[in-house]
Amino acid sequence: MVNLTIDGRAIQATKGQTILEVADANGIFIPRLCYHPALKPIGACRICVVEVKPGPPRPLPACATPVNEGMEVVTNSERVLKIREELMKLVLINHALECPICDKGGECELQDLTHALGVDQVDLEAVKLAPNHDYESLFVERHPDRCVTCGRCVHVCRDHVGAMAINFMHRGYFTELGSGQLPLDCEFCGSCIDICPVGALINKLWKYRARAWEVEKTETVCPFCGGGCTYELHTKNDRILRVRNEKSILLCSRGRFGFPVVEAPDRLKTPLIKENGEFREASWDEALDLVAAKFKEVAENAGPNAIYGVGSARATNEANYLFQKFFRQGLGSNQVDNPGRYTYIRALRGLASVFGVPQVSGVEASSAALLPYHSPLKLGAEAQGSGFPFVLGHFDDLPKADLVLVLGADVTPEMPPLGWKLLRALDNENCRLVLANPRRTKFDRYAHVSLRYKPGTERILLAGLLKAFLADNPEWTPAISATGLEELKESLKKVGPKEVSQKTGVDDALIKETAALLAQAQAPAILCGTELLAQDKGEQNVQALADLFLLIGKPGIPGSAVYPVAEKNNSRGVCEAGVMAEHLPGYAHLDEAAGGTPLPEMLDKLEAGDPAAPQALYLLGGDLLRAVPHRSRTEKVLKKAGFIVVQDAFLTDTAKLAQVVLPVTVHAEQEGTFISSDGTLGVLAQAIPAPGVRPDWQIINQLGEKMGYKLGAGHPQQIFRELAQSVPLWAGLSPKASYPLMPGTVSGTFIPFDVDLSLPGRRPYTLIVGKALNHSGTFTTHAPDGTLKLMSEATLQLNPEDAQNLGLSNGETAKVISSQGEVSLPVALAPEMPAGVVFLAEHFAEPPVHLLTLNSNLVRVTIQKG
Amino acid sequence: MIIPLLKGLATTLRHVFTKPITLQYPEEKRQVAPRWRGHPELTINEDGGRRCVACTLCMVVCPSNAIKGIEAAEGQEHEKYPVAFTIDLTRCIFCGFCQEACPKGAIKLNNLYELAQYEKSLLILDIDRATQKKSELRMADWL
Repeated sequence: MVNLTIDGRAIQATKGQTILEVADANGIFIPRLCYHPALKPIGACRICVVEVKPGPPRPLPACATPVNEGMEVVTNSERVLKIREELMKLVLINHALECPICDKGGECELQDLTHALGVDQVDLEAVKLAPNHDYESLFVERHPDRCVTCGRCVHVCRDHVGAMAINFMHRGYFTELGSGQLPLDCEFCGSCIDICPVGALINKLWKYRARAWEVEKTETVCPFCGGGCTYELHTKNDRILRVRNEKSILLCSRGRFGFPVVEAPDRLKTPLIKENGEFREASWDEALDLVAAKFKEVAENAGPNAIYGVGSARATNEANYLFQKFFRQGLGSNQVDNPGRYTYIRALRGLASVFGVPQVSGVEASSAALLPYHSPLKLGAEAQGSGFPFVLGHFDDLPKADLVLVLGADVTPEMPPLGWKLLRALDNENCRLVLANPRRTKFDRYAHVSLRYKPGTERILLAGLLKAFLADNPEWTPAISATGLEELKESLKKVGPKEVSQKTGVDDALIKETAALLAQAQAPAILCGTELLAQDKGEQNVQALADLFLLIGKPGIPGSAVYPVAEKNNSRGVCEAGVMAEHLPGYAHLDEAAGGTPLPEMLDKLEAGDPAAPQALYLLGGDLLRAVPHRSRTEKVLKKAGFIVVQDAFLTDTAKLAQVVLPVTVHAEQEGTFISSDGTLGVLAQAIPAPGVRPDWQIINQLGEKMGYKLGAGHPQQIFRELAQSVPLWAGLSPKASYPLMPGTVSGTFIPFDVDLSLPGRRPYTLIVGKALNHSGTFTTHAPDGTLKLMSEATLQLNPEDAQNLGLSNGETAKVISSQGEVSLPVALAPEMPAGVVFLAEHFAEPPVHLLTLNSNLVRVTIQKG
Repeated sequence: MIIPLLKGLATTLRHVFTKPITLQYPEEKRQVAPRWRGHPELTINEDGGRRCVACTLCMVVCPSNAIKGIEAAEGQEHEKYPVAFTIDLTRCIFCGFCQEACPKGAIKLNNLYELAQYEKSLLILDIDRATQKKSELRMADWL
């Protein structure tokens, strides 16, 4: 503790705080312009100068001066007031007086400051500078004549987003914000817009649509990745006008500019029933009656197991919980699963096989009055937990890691918030980043070691790492109590000494260097992404990764954890709410016999015409055709299911195969909760009405009523309570909190893994199907604008040399052929691609990427000029 | 007895031939003072375009919610202009706050005072009806 006085008031503060922070905490206002709580002090504007004794004779900036014992601070002496006034006059010399039309008007920090300091006249003169407006860039409009050169945008772009797209040009009075090029070419996250204290950077989607004070603000959760960012929707007349994150300012392009998808004209507005191969509009009662009658008929004729349910990683926990309740309690079958089976569930299963399924004890019912979306369970004095959730990390802890191994993830496109946290981890100069990816990604710039392996050789690489690590440290004992190390060592003997570098293409020296870094790490973290999980052996990949973590991980130390990327907003929640073949809510285990059929096996059964194959499918959103590999087979197989009901906001390719389509609300139109990738409970609030469409939970409940089941759902809050009651892992959970909250013990068993190359075929190129920065699944590809402007079509990312050999140039159409099918699409030259590897983002309807794939996101292809 | 009566009649008779001293409303219109507060209207500049930039300050300051529904659009030169603007004279209290708040001299109380209508809806002015037509009727000290 530090004792000091500010304006004569005795105040206690924590060491390391700045004068400005202490003043704010104690209700003493010091004017400021360039300071923003989300950024490190910049110290550019000097408006926050204060007199400090003991100290130098000149005034000091309060934002950048740490407090000291016995410090006497004066914030309002005549001298500093005069300095502030003069500085304001300098700032205002040629500030464009456009407040009436400036979109910042009303929330402008310069306006407020001018009022607060009472500067009503500027008696200084300077040459007028050319305004150099930038009206051309997408989403961002730049007005240098309004800029106060505070440097916030430069800092947020460089230090927090890592895009380094804007910087100052020239010096002194002529300083101007520039990007070196026009129009702007960056990630288009728009964070610079919202950090700008004035209207020098303007959001084009928001421009002129409302004044700052006219909007209603609703705090909700972003639906565009598993990061679970909380943001505010600004609405006026029931339309979303912009999205802001008041606290950290940071949002990605799809979070900030993806909202117009809500107003997409191709959104479904009424239920659809297929008659003679054509959809016709129907009333809710008619559609639900039809579904209920059909389900009853199937259940009576073929048993309840003949109806199969697929949950959705887009729907809320409440909807998913009610969905599985409809099957388990209503129909009396366990035939549910979710499309995460092809990605995220592999991570969960891989981790569970090494660290065990969650076990929680010492949890008791809470007697306190229940607030909305609070778990009805609380931690007892003896609360204890174990299992894989205790090795999953919280994003906020990632910056505490001193070694981050990123494997098979292009972090920023897959989950932008995780990328921001990774940058925070790199603030620590002792933090080492090991980046393993077949492609060059954004974080290669920061990586200490880059392992450029060949696609599909992740397990060989991990085996090599483990081998090198164990060779260097033969006496190593893992920090986690572990068994089976000898068996693992035995299995690693099968990997030959030269095999690793030969097959992965990674130099032995680099593997040794990485192994040495791993051995030194005090708080190692491991990140893995969908590139790794979407392979057919994704589960084994995670097992290998989990083995590595079991060896080096220190789960007791904050930051040392595994961070698997959950692709969608509720990828984790849908599993915890119990929409899994083998688990009830909260990972309560079902034995083999009682458990349902996992999604891929269900498709196999349908294909084989198995008598146990489902005769009716109930799909809670999720475009299976566009998410599951080998599209032509999926399409053929789904057509064999007699009756398909799809609940979705859009008429997706899968919905077109359905007999009944029920339109649902999207995030901004409903209440509910999501569980983010790091286990944070995000609460949705309804910001705009949704005429015609209904929330998922309501539809399931009404269908249940029509079928005579008492699902008893009245409100998402009540469903959440019921769900949380059966998830002891969530004990003590409240909005924005992350679980598990109880102390956990982690132990594990090393699992030997095979080191086959999971990429058969002889075709010359390897295609990686992955994620693009500007889209989230297929959701954002419907918008009338938003991120579609940034990326309107899929392109084949091809190494320039490969392109030259193929005779292809930028924008030309290429034909990509695999054993499963072929597609044609334009080529984009991408120097970040290694020779022989091509990349294709999977979001778009055209071309249907999964026509090429077989059972993985990797496939060998031939490329021709098309 | 009769004399006072005749006196009175004489006075009356005398006034029959003098000039009337009251204003002959409605045949004669009253000249209002320069500071007269008539109803608010959107002013135009020399080329006939509205001065309004849809900053909505008049809407904010209006104590009786007479100004509403201001919607802005972006012009060719990136200028901001109103595409919708409603002045509800049934609510207006002729306080003149709007003209005081306007940074562009774009809304001004005119010198009209005959505002009574048989139909209420006629008193709700949309953007076109709220825009001045004959600038000569208006005072010269707009700005």
